[in-house]
Amino acid sequence: MKVITAYCNLRADRCLVNGEVVAERDPASEDSWFKQIYKKHALAYPKFYKMDVLSQAGYLASELIKKANPGLVDAYADDEIALIFANATSSAETDRRFKQSYEEAGTPSPSLFVYTLPNIVLGEIAIANKWYGENMFAVLPKFAPGFYLDYGQILSSSGSRALLCGWLEVTATGTDVFLFMVEERETGPAFSHDNLLQLSQAREAAAI
Amino acid sequence: MIYVGAEVIVSPLGNNAEDNWQALSANRSGIALVPAAGFSGEDIHLARIGSLAGPLRFQQLIVNALTALISRIDAAIVPSNRTLVLISSTKGALDDDMNDQFNATCALLQQHFGLAHLPLVISNACISGVLTLNVAANMVKAGQYEHVIVVGCDVASDFVLYGFQSLFAVSDKPCAPFDAARNGITLGEGCAAVLVSGTGSVFENAPLELLAGASANDANHISGPSRTGEGLVRSVKRTFETHGVSADEIDFVCAHGTGTLFNDEMESIAFDRLSLADKPLNSLKGYFGHTLGAAGVIETAVCMQMVRNGMLVRSLGYTDAGTSRPLNIILKNEPKILNTILKTASGFGGGNASLMIRNI
Repeated sequence: MKVITAYCNLRADRCLVNGEVVAERDPASEDSWFKQIYKKHALAYPKFYKMDVLSQAGYLASELIKKANPGLVDAYADDEIALIFANATSSAETDRRFKQSYEEAGTPSPSLFVYTLPNIVLGEIAIANKWYGENMFAVLPKFAPGFYLDYGQILSSSGSRALLCGWLEVTATGTDVFLFMVEERETGPAFSHDNLLQLSQAREAAAI
Repeated sequence: MIYVGAEVIVSPLGNNAEDNWQALSANRSGIALVPAAGFSGEDIHLARIGSLAGPLRFQQLIVNALTALISRIDAAIVPSNRTLVLISSTKGALDDDMNDQFNATCALLQQHFGLAHLPLVISNACISGVLTLNVAANMVKAGQYEHVIVVGCDVASDFVLYGFQSLFAVSDKPCAPFDAARNGITLGEGCAAVLVSGTGSVFENAPLELLAGASANDANHISGPSRTGEGLVRSVKRTFETHGVSADEIDFVCAHGTGTLFNDEMESIAFDRLSLADKPLNSLKGYFGHTLGAAGVIETAVCMQMVRNGMLVRSLGYTDAGTSRPLNIILKNEPKILNTILKTASGFGGGNASLMIRNI
């Protein structure tokens, strides 16, 4: 059966992998929250610094999932892991910054423009992992398990053996990132509506 | 069988598929020089819809296209629980509300057309249209819906024009896909809609068959095409394999052909690797400009018109070979019976997608 084998919740001040806190924001740090996570986990991928916030969030969450679950992706060919991502505001945060570059800073910034599409994060994850599989980015009013279940079923029946799914909302006012891996297993939390709702809201044990 | 039909095209060339077809038959382009449109006040070639003005242009275009589509199908399916609307777009209503580029439009469409489900937006850069048609076919095949209406729409905004200018990717003449002197894209705007369905009888005119294809990432660069065409090759190979079709059976290739040096070169390498280099091929960007999220749906709708009218349409803007691998670019309109055609798309984020249309 299809099972959620790993997941990451990245919020405004905490980052959790499989329900365990793996980073806490230091408000005194000069580094951005995402940069704090990058440094804390000693990730070595200089392209990270060029990415917009959406791509940074997707990259971090996918790397942390892999780190906490060694061997997770090794069992797959380079085109067998499909990426299914969604959010509510598309690339609005970077869109706003790109518009500022030509309205206020005097010239349209090419390095911002290339991130004014929500699917760029899928490209970044594909590049970082050399994955040639299926990609899809949708814009929905809110996190909707049915979207992932429906499209996951379609991709699973057309050759994708694993799914890396994500809800990726990073705006000036909030961070709500939930990435999860779906694989074929005998046991574990089923890839279901209720489990997705519950895990998307996961809190660390101490806070419950 | 998955059917596709009732195609509608709203573009600078007309408000329905037939008017667009008349323009294409006459090799008329929708591209015109727009004075002072550029970031520094330069004159820029654009494919803009003259009659489209004011706020809510994205919404207006979709409402017009959907209204036209509904008049060509059994309207009883529109409010059905078994019907979904998919929207393919990159920047949606960005000019109206940057923080809500899609959701307000979707809510309005649901109410205006009495839809059972909120439309779903797919936003995958320039492959959005082809990808969305594939999603639609797969949803019908999986039994998730019986009918999926696919709408592709993007408006030409200053935002996107200035962005492509910042990348030095805007052509100084109407774009010239695959031509030796090509030097960039021409931005366009437009909207197309088709119905994808498992029921052939809901179409007013005979539908065609949609053979859903695969998508594949280049895993190479977010804004630069692969040098080997690897993602496009993988996408087309899987599309062929899924349906047991070989390159020999393809009567025509409707390429992506943006008119940038690197994109068109990448496609020539991929088509060569796929043994498709001798197939009649065109890019439709010389007629419509690059309509981004709408492109795949507009161009597939044109392919459907080509099949219906038995005609290969000239690749406008092309005169001299300009890619390292020779391609069989269509130099003039030519009557031909078309049974199986291939449509491809490639875009930012490294995406590649393909599908096939077959005459029934």
